[in-house]
Amino acid sequence: MTAFPMIARNTALGAFWASGDRIQRLALVLGAALALAALAAPLIAGFDPTAQSLISRLRPPLGFEGARPGHWLGTDELGRDLLSRCLYGLRLTLSLALMGATLGLMLGGLLGVLAGVAGKRIDAVIMTAVDTQIAIPFTLVALFMLSVFGSSLTVMVLVLGLAGWEQYARILRGEVMRLMQMPFIEAARAAGASPLRIALTHVLPNVVSPVVVQFTLSLSNIILLESTLSFLGLGVQPPTATLGAMVGVGRDYMPNAPWIVLAPALLILAVTFCVQILGDWLRDRADVRLRAR
Amino acid sequence: MKHLLTATALVAALSGMAGAAELTVAAANVSSYLDPGKDHSNVGSQFYFNSFDPLIHKDYSKADPEWQPGLATEWTLIEPTVMELKLRPGVTFHNGEQMTADDVVFSLNRMFQATFPPYQVRMRDRLSNFDHAEKVDDHTVRIHVKREEPLFETLLNLQQTFIIPEDYTKALSGDPKVAEDSDYEAFAMAPVGTGPYRIAEFVPGQKIVWERFDGFWGEQAPLDRVNVIQVGEVASRLTALRTGEADIATNIAPDQLSTIEADPTLKVVGGATPLFHVMIMNQNHPKLQDARIRQALMLAIDRNLLNEALWLGKAVVPDSHTMEEFGPFYMPELKTFEYNPERAKELLAEAGYDGSEITFDTQGSYYTNGMLAAQAITEMWNAVGIKASIRDLPKWSGNDPEMMARNWSNPMYFNDPFGSFGVMWAPGGPSQSEGRFNTDETYAEIWDRFRFSKDIEARKAAYAELMDHMAKDPAVLPLYRPYESWAMRTDLNWAPKPGHIPYVLDFRAGSVALTN
Repeated sequence: MTAFPMIARNTALGAFWASGDRIQRLALVLGAALALAALAAPLIAGFDPTAQSLISRLRPPLGFEGARPGHWLGTDELGRDLLSRCLYGLRLTLSLALMGATLGLMLGGLLGVLAGVAGKRIDAVIMTAVDTQIAIPFTLVALFMLSVFGSSLTVMVLVLGLAGWEQYARILRGEVMRLMQMPFIEAARAAGASPLRIALTHVLPNVVSPVVVQFTLSLSNIILLESTLSFLGLGVQPPTATLGAMVGVGRDYMPNAPWIVLAPALLILAVTFCVQILGDWLRDRADVRLRAR
Repeated sequence: MKHLLTATALVAALSGMAGAAELTVAAANVSSYLDPGKDHSNVGSQFYFNSFDPLIHKDYSKADPEWQPGLATEWTLIEPTVMELKLRPGVTFHNGEQMTADDVVFSLNRMFQATFPPYQVRMRDRLSNFDHAEKVDDHTVRIHVKREEPLFETLLNLQQTFIIPEDYTKALSGDPKVAEDSDYEAFAMAPVGTGPYRIAEFVPGQKIVWERFDGFWGEQAPLDRVNVIQVGEVASRLTALRTGEADIATNIAPDQLSTIEADPTLKVVGGATPLFHVMIMNQNHPKLQDARIRQALMLAIDRNLLNEALWLGKAVVPDSHTMEEFGPFYMPELKTFEYNPERAKELLAEAGYDGSEITFDTQGSYYTNGMLAAQAITEMWNAVGIKASIRDLPKWSGNDPEMMARNWSNPMYFNDPFGSFGVMWAPGGPSQSEGRFNTDETYAEIWDRFRFSKDIEARKAAYAELMDHMAKDPAVLPLYRPYESWAMRTDLNWAPKPGHIPYVLDFRAGSVALTN
């Protein structure tokens, strides 16, 4: 964990690195490695993730009897290279999660700011919507939407985007209301700044930090939601690989080919672990009260 | 087949040991309704034999039919087109009513002169030659056919001609004296028959409970109670078996066989089922109207590779829509379907295939290895330049005009080409009724010779013409006869009998026994 001593401690990254404990640093390194692997999947995957080799079905990982050269993690139920499918599955799962989280941020952020700066009536409407979303188990809503509208990539991103927008809305509403009482906002208002200008130039820069923290924390929830939906067969359709779908298919082969389910399941575990730890770390850094301890 | 006969003999020998007992079956699928008249699905076929009887039974331990008395004790052809049947006295329905000639006439005429649309499909596809049934006296009925019927006993053994109670059915809704569509809909939720087990509980899609019917006219059922529970995933079915939650698990894929065989508490029975998993194609879809495109879709599929890879070589790949169980009508010499990817590419070029997407529909885990085969087939299509994708749908899409190609099965409903290809691809049958298959006068004329010729060679020649027709303007490709397996506790003796249609769960006397 001292592999980066040359990162100047006076840089932001250096300070961040120095503030973490072993687990947090491990999560950072592992997360960066997974993100890189996902980004570079087309370069490092040895095989086309959808290319079948029916005569090489259910081959175990290298080192086990019956393994096929080149297939490091073995092959799946259609003879596809498991490592390549894991890499592409990770890529798609992360992409979907990022797109979904971004959509949630934009929607929730906009409504949260609106609730904070607009009048009581709009605030009440938005907060009722927030409370409703919190009250209904979102997995059920997602299952309903996917069964009605189908499970194309677009629908999937929309569903994931709707998961968690209310958290952004609540956080931003509270922050905006607090900021609106601050003297510098009063000053801007006295100087004749419009509500939009106040929101964009004075409020927004001051709420970035909690939003970034929330974005990171919600990412792992969205990854798990995508995995759940794909596991249930309502996610992206085969032969496209996502980690949840791979676990879903692989569960039928657990007794005789456990590697099919273990590889993507461990990847989901690793990704959510990294994202969760990093989110906590960011929150600790962003919260001045915690940082002071 | 030898294994099946041996198992059956063993079961028969051990049947006397069965005392009061309860059995639980973990089934991949449970029907959404139970009506032997309208149903001909693989899922439904599992469940009727325990609770219903035909007029004419047979020795189900033999593949070749040996007719035996059922609800009729005698039957005679009194005219070329009229059969007279003497009914068994003392038969009681599960609701306590005595079976009469009126019940038999009602049961048969609801199918022969069908007004309820689902019955009309069955009437057209396999019972169209029947005109009507009439009561002669309380214990005698006559059945009239339109033309001399070479398959009289065979058709009176079908699930669709099982006997149901008239008064009970008519009273289920509306006017208790009139048979209305709503009565048949209601019957499918609360079915009543004459078999050795009554249906004590039915939760559509989830659960069926059979209880021994003490009023059964024949040998008493060996089990007190049988629970059928739906467990969709094969891994979950096997887990249920291992934990004792279930005693039998249906539809075990070949990939799982080795793990069961390695478990000393479990065993597995199975065989190449008399049924084809097929690929059907929509002749009327705008993208598939050119027969060359459909021919290319067939030629691109390496069925032998599918067999080797997905069925471990245990399935049977046919050259035509024919199987050994057809007896004298088995025609292995027909070479209707082949694998030729180069010819597929040529046909696509000749037809001016524009690269538009062709979809293959499948239905989750409905068919053993169904999703795997769908993925392998679309990959084979991609290899010859067809842009292919899968639609994994929650329900049957054969009647959807958007359906381009999908998986289906063509079971052998009785030992004749009419009982397999014939039922599914008859003029006016289920395929044409759903708007994805066309027939013309030529097809109908060939069909007529195939269906009613008394000369075996004439029927075979007509069948060869039908196969030729199907090769030139294809709507179906038989992929293989799947190797279906049932896993169970080692102390349970049960095996599918060769005289049944595929998938029947027969728990009658002599068919199942517990050895402890």
